[in-house]
Amino acid sequence: MSTIAAPRRRDQSAVRARARTTDRRARYFNWFCASVLVVFAAIWVIPLLWALDTSLKPDAIIAAHPTSWWSGTWTLHAYQTLFDLGNIQTWYLNSFVIALLSAVFAVAACSMAAFAIARTQFTGRRWVYGLIAAGLLIPPQVLIVPQFQEFNAAGLLNTYWVQVLPAVAVPIAVVIFVSFFSGIPAELAEAARVDGASWWKIYRTIYMPLSKPAISAVFIFTFVWKWNDFLWPLLTLTNPRIMTLPVGLSQVSSAFGIMYAELMASAVLGALPLIVVFLLFQRQIVEGIATTGIK
Amino acid sequence: MSVQAVPVGTAAPARAAAGLRKPRGDGRAGWGLTAPFLIFYVLFLIGPTVYGIVMSFFNSSLQHSGLGGFAGPDNYTQALTSSDFWQSMWHTVLFTLMTTPPLVAIALMLAVFTDRLARGRWFFRLVFFAPYVVPSAAMALIWTWLYTPQIGLWDSWLSAVGISDPPNWLADPSWAMASVALATVWWTLGFNFVLYLAGLQEIPRNLYEAAAVDGASRWHQLRRITIPLLNRTTALVLVLQIIASLKIFDQIFLMTAGGPNYATRPLLEYVYDIGFTDFRTGYAAAASMLYFLVILAVSLVWFFVSRRQPKEA
Amino acid sequence: MGTNGPSLSRRSLLRGAGLVGLGGLLSGCGTALASGVAGTGPPKNTLSYWNLLGGGDGVRMTAMEQVYQKQHPGVALSAVVLAWGNPYYTKVSLATLGQRPPDVAISHLTRASILAQAGLLEPLNEAELAPYGLTGANITPAAWNMAHTNGTLYAIPLDTHPLVMYYNTDICKKAGLLGPDGSLKNLDNPAALTDALTAAKKVTGAYGGVFSINNDTATPWRFFSSLYYQLGGSVLADDGRKIVLDEAKADKVLSFIQNLSKQGLIPTSVDYPGAITAFATGKAGFYFEGDWEITTFETTKSPFSMTAFPNVFGGGYAVQADSHSFVLPKDPRRTDAMRQQIFVFIRSLLGQSGTWAQGGHIPAWLPFQKSAAYDKLKPASNYKGVADHVRYDDRAWYSGSGSDFENIMGFAIGAVAAGQMAPAAAIADMKSKLTQYANTPSPV
Repeated sequence: MSTIAAPRRRDQSAVRARARTTDRRARYFNWFCASVLVVFAAIWVIPLLWALDTSLKPDAIIAAHPTSWWSGTWTLHAYQTLFDLGNIQTWYLNSFVIALLSAVFAVAACSMAAFAIARTQFTGRRWVYGLIAAGLLIPPQVLIVPQFQEFNAAGLLNTYWVQVLPAVAVPIAVVIFVSFFSGIPAELAEAARVDGASWWKIYRTIYMPLSKPAISAVFIFTFVWKWNDFLWPLLTLTNPRIMTLPVGLSQVSSAFGIMYAELMASAVLGALPLIVVFLLFQRQIVEGIATTGIK
Repeated sequence: MSVQAVPVGTAAPARAAAGLRKPRGDGRAGWGLTAPFLIFYVLFLIGPTVYGIVMSFFNSSLQHSGLGGFAGPDNYTQALTSSDFWQSMWHTVLFTLMTTPPLVAIALMLAVFTDRLARGRWFFRLVFFAPYVVPSAAMALIWTWLYTPQIGLWDSWLSAVGISDPPNWLADPSWAMASVALATVWWTLGFNFVLYLAGLQEIPRNLYEAAAVDGASRWHQLRRITIPLLNRTTALVLVLQIIASLKIFDQIFLMTAGGPNYATRPLLEYVYDIGFTDFRTGYAAAASMLYFLVILAVSLVWFFVSRRQPKEA
Repeated sequence: MGTNGPSLSRRSLLRGAGLVGLGGLLSGCGTALASGVAGTGPPKNTLSYWNLLGGGDGVRMTAMEQVYQKQHPGVALSAVVLAWGNPYYTKVSLATLGQRPPDVAISHLTRASILAQAGLLEPLNEAELAPYGLTGANITPAAWNMAHTNGTLYAIPLDTHPLVMYYNTDICKKAGLLGPDGSLKNLDNPAALTDALTAAKKVTGAYGGVFSINNDTATPWRFFSSLYYQLGGSVLADDGRKIVLDEAKADKVLSFIQNLSKQGLIPTSVDYPGAITAFATGKAGFYFEGDWEITTFETTKSPFSMTAFPNVFGGGYAVQADSHSFVLPKDPRRTDAMRQQIFVFIRSLLGQSGTWAQGGHIPAWLPFQKSAAYDKLKPASNYKGVADHVRYDDRAWYSGSGSDFENIMGFAIGAVAAGQMAPAAAIADMKSKLTQYANTPSPV
């Protein structure tokens, strides 16, 4: 007995010794990772922090000490100027309405179509799905010229609709919903059909309530996409009163010229809304990216 | 209607029978539910695509409705023989080449390191991803200010370490593209970072533990376990990044206006200039279609490559 | 997947906050919302005005707008400044197509011509302008002429801004180039100009004169075309469908420029800010650029003056110029009352030409241009005589300030000045690139 136990004890101490070195190496490695991360994180926050810092400095200080982080005073003067000009509030409103309408309509239309494709057995659904999947290959950027002509002919330029309408039919949203609905057991639908429920009712009362992750993913992505969209609003929203935030910020200098505090204040105000949205909906956004990516 | 309790054993045949019957109302409901999407889809995606292809064969103008005079393949020949077109194409490709490697490699590295952490992961996720939700206009304002000669932050740091005459980052043709690329890395790294984090979560922890028991160092584990198992994620990140980079417009338009002297103008801005400044929509449509072919080619390569990859167990 | 509780409450919180915020915003921006949804127009009595004037010009324009606003408190003037260059005209075009153009906008006369041909501007008839004094009798003839496209008036000129010659008075004095009354001697032939630059170079130890070459196609074009026009040449004809570049004349001018740079009289590599610095710090005795840099040198307190670009090649005097002007983009909803308001606005700004002229531009408003008050503005009024002899860029859909035409020409000319291209090669380059444009059917 003792001959068996002794080797085991020797093995155990060897294992423990090895474990101790791996532990130490693991700890060093962890410290290494953490330090690298901290350095990169420090670099990553600097631009936004610097913009914030500049926006709070009086113009005189910027002229005298443009690159010092702290010079004794700070002021909200730049923000006051922006609000007095009145444009930025209008742009916020425009961006918000456009992004909201786009997200709502996109969720509605895409989920309905996806549900029909995934669960109803209507003839031709494979062709429809194929057609929609083919649309995945068409980037919206190559359509700016014909789409512009189309909306011009329809007289819809410089309205919200020129932004919202092209954003409703997004192939990737349909794909996301299809894959999500396919994961919900078909028996649920069938049981309800046996009970005489219409497909619309099944969609509305059974499938949609169960699809919060997909809904929030598509909603948030559409919202963020339309909020940050630049090229299309640049072309189609050319009146300052109807511009969205990114276009207004970049196109209307309003005699700021080289007034850095005001420029940075406008940048901060431009960045702020979605950062707040991100803070509130971190989990959904990250989950959304993860699930759509992995899919 | 009475609900009959159907024994489990008979469920399958009952379902099969139901399938054979082709339920009534499916067609109507199916098409009814799909209709809204299809209307928008045809009107605003398929329609414009077809119209764009047609328009590319005419001398359409922004000012006049209708297609204008027939041009046949002239628009395409002009595009393919135009040095401006090829230079813009090159700028787009150059930008893609400059941004994709760092955006994939650095994101991977940071994600791997973050994954190691027991706590504080949310903090790094916040720091790296927050720039991604910032609109391009805000990001361009901030980085133009950072790049401002002499009084910008970067130049002040450079002079603090002794480099007193740095190039004009955004106005020097040799540096403009690199400067925009660097700003883009800051701006969009967070997306790849999150994708990688998600991929890393999928790797079972016990693989690492088993390797640790066998005495594998962290580096070893990284090379032999993590990276290979991330292949699918890397492929995804890579193709998404390439396609996103090929669609570059915002940052270059905002930070250098395609300059100095068109030295950084990407293809999409070329389309913008031709179609909306010069009013030549037919020609711009042709250039857009050629551009579409490039993106399509990349997408199709990815499609076939990913198909042939063995699915992960 | 996590519980749905917290996310629901967070979302409803945001929804609630959003609605409250929306309500607050709506009360203030009701018309913006209505406009966005239903395409309704702005509230009455708003006058929207777009311009591309930044820097010193922008400051002066803002001051003039404020005077107008004070005089007309019943009208809400909404002035929007957009970035200079091609993007500005793209925006004006797109806004006009988008049925929401500004009521009145600044446009260079050369670009106004293209916008007019594209059908984007409202024609102006002289009968309705007469009550406001906005007639040909009160505007510089050359500008008034250019403001017509195909015989119809489309723009009301504000000024003319030609290429001018700045000279450092200290350096020129030391170089013996100033006459007894302090004015610059006559440099109206190639030899005289070259000698003057040589003399200036001896004093500065660096360069005789400077004009920007790098990353700037407009300035080389202005320098070249002024000399080329003095030889009587044109570049484009038949609305840009024909290239009539006279190779002999172009070669003469390009060789002259090449000579200047070969002799080291002008730098071969200098960009726009660099050229300003070179002149301001006395590294060059002469500076060739548009008249708008007057404020820059007044601010740096350099000892300088300005005069008309010399008539180097004899012949009739000519110099390249463009003009800022007011245009009315087409708007089907514009009422007659609104048109009257716009004319009142334009008249008010023209009446403040005194302020505007401080920026170096020659006012188009003759009552001021011919007045003693303008004469007193030195050195701005030194070159006022050129206003009637300026040449605008030849008309074409691809021509005008900041256009592809200027880019093509300026690139080749700059390359000659930088010593990178021989004149013959430059001319070939110009011709081949321009031919491509000439052969393209016009989109307007």
